Amino acid sequence: MIWLTWRLFRGPALAGTAALAALAAYLVVLGLRLRDTHAEVVGCAGCTADDARGAMENGYFVAVQLSGFALVVVPALLGAFWGAPLVARELEAGTHRLVWAQSVTRGRWLAVRLGVVVLAGVLATGLVGLLLGWAVAPYDEVMGGRFETVVFPSRGVVPLGYAAFAVALGATLGLLARRTLPAMALTLAVFLGLQFLVPTLVRPHLRPPVTETFAFGAFSVGPGGGFSAGPRGARVEAVSLPGAWVLSDGAALHNAAGEPVTSSEVDVCMTGEFRRDMECIGGLNLSYTVSYHPAARYWPFQWIEFGGYLLLAALLTALSFVRLRRVAWTTLLDAEPPGSSTGDDPGGSRWLDQDQPMVLQFSWMLPRPQPKPSTHR
Amino acid sequence: MTAAIRTERLTKRYGRHPALTDVTVTVPTGRVVGLVGPNGAGKSTLLGIAAGLITPTSGEIEVLGGRPGQDTAQLARVGFVAQDTPVYGGLTVAEHLRLGAGLNPGWDAELARQRIARLGLDPARRAAKLSGGQRAQLALTLAAAKRPELLLLDEPVAALDPLARRDFLRGLMEFVAELGVGVVLSSHVLADLERVCDHLVLLAESRVLLAGDTEELLATHYRVVGPRGCADALPAGVDVVQAEHTARQSTLVVHDPGGALLRSPCDAEPVGLEDMVLAHLTRAAGAAPAPTTEEPLEARR
Repeated sequence: MIWLTWRLFRGPALAGTAALAALAAYLVVLGLRLRDTHAEVVGCAGCTADDARGAMENGYFVAVQLSGFALVVVPALLGAFWGAPLVARELEAGTHRLVWAQSVTRGRWLAVRLGVVVLAGVLATGLVGLLLGWAVAPYDEVMGGRFETVVFPSRGVVPLGYAAFAVALGATLGLLARRTLPAMALTLAVFLGLQFLVPTLVRPHLRPPVTETFAFGAFSVGPGGGFSAGPRGARVEAVSLPGAWVLSDGAALHNAAGEPVTSSEVDVCMTGEFRRDMECIGGLNLSYTVSYHPAARYWPFQWIEFGGYLLLAALLTALSFVRLRRVAWTTLLDAEPPGSSTGDDPGGSRWLDQDQPMVLQFSWMLPRPQPKPSTHR
Repeated sequence: MTAAIRTERLTKRYGRHPALTDVTVTVPTGRVVGLVGPNGAGKSTLLGIAAGLITPTSGEIEVLGGRPGQDTAQLARVGFVAQDTPVYGGLTVAEHLRLGAGLNPGWDAELARQRIARLGLDPARRAAKLSGGQRAQLALTLAAAKRPELLLLDEPVAALDPLARRDFLRGLMEFVAELGVGVVLSSHVLADLERVCDHLVLLAESRVLLAGDTEELLATHYRVVGPRGCADALPAGVDVVQAEHTARQSTLVVHDPGGALLRSPCDAEPVGLEDMVLAHLTRAAGAAPAPTTEEPLEARR
């Protein structure tokens, strides 16, 4: 069974390995270049942290984002190209009728085939994930932001959960759809859909966020953020809380009396030189309130999301085993004849797969040739 | 003696559509059994259930005394070649044998190797590049080399040309002789079965119409030709399967298991296998495409 699994998986495995090797080569190059840049801009004489950030961001923002994105796409593709055909191709080609007729129960058949491919998917994703982690470590060290949308799912342990889930999802959808291509498309759609839904609807609520009020200081405005003051009050546009996941988009400033700060209150500080203005405003005794997940929650969140995806994978696998027992393997070969005995249901053959033409040979059971009618009495 | 297949009110429905309805039939072991019927009669469903690949909706079935597909041991006792003889297109002939060896504890490697050699199949050839006849032979080899006690073949020759058909059936008969294996073979082409089967199960519209030893069935079916009204005079115990009338003459196909026909005034002559089967199928097809004669078919029951 292991041999057969490997033999059938060999083609996709080699293709996948080739594609991942290309990605890996890119990551190695990226990692080496990042290390060079890191050595140049960090800790050099007269360099500030802001300079280092600027250099990293200008040089590598796109590359690092795309790499992180690739690591989320890898499990999706593995699910589509390794998982979806696993059962669907057998059902499509009818070979399940060959293999299930061997002396192996179909439960064991699925267990071995799915097990091998899930492990392969987790292993492949894990290796690429390790490499990515190594490659972008200098960038992450300077930039932080590990809760960010593309960063969180491409680092740590969550990619392994995605991989197990994606392959199980592909196999299950293949079993349900019974067609490889629709199963692949569905796998991609469901997986990527979850990648949008989980970060926005689920991940922020894994724990109740902490809501805290801070005194406004010179470093409250994070990198890439800003400070705005207008008729509707003064706001911090990107709150700086190193390592934490700030959920608020921005935060309105309040004065010591707890009232929203109007622009007239801060106008005195506005000279146009950002750093000096911030220090001036910091002296006004203002405060702001943000809700956030502290930095210490990073690993708990990683493990919770990883566990959640593993649980989903396990549920899907269980569903496959239940479904598998009930797969009526008819690829329609013993289909209902037209005008069947029930005869009252013109659309009655809809239980057949739609795109299978109904081939019926009735010729040999047609009524005997009619006796010649007698023409004269 | 344990029957090869014994069913009791076996029923399978796909949604509302019956594939098998109350099938109660016993198929003897150690024989070559033909499962005949038009497409859609339920042949594949019956064989699939017997192979443990389909779960029946209701009713009971025993194959060689066990429940189909209940465990590895039961799977090993029954060989199955599905319709269209599926094989893995990307695997070579030799890899198929390796597959068989890996998945079947009782694998007879020598038998498989010899058979492939005798067929002249190149072990390094991919199954996708085999002809239909060669694919069928490969599938049969896989099923036979697992050394089952019962071999189920679902329309194995349907897609083959006449020559390949003959070769396949010849190969099958060799197995049966060599291994003493029982065979249940389905086909909608009666001529295929006529040569090889010594027992017949006739299915139509999801029901069993007729089952029995071929010789016995032929010995109790007659064609009766006589003047009109002859049918009314047939003694009790004679089942009129088919009746055709012209103004002056009636032609009947009757089943007479009790020998009652001896007392009939009509002439009775033996009927061929094909005519016998067709008569039963025509009756089962019921009112649908009935022959249009001038007179109503009064003998139709």
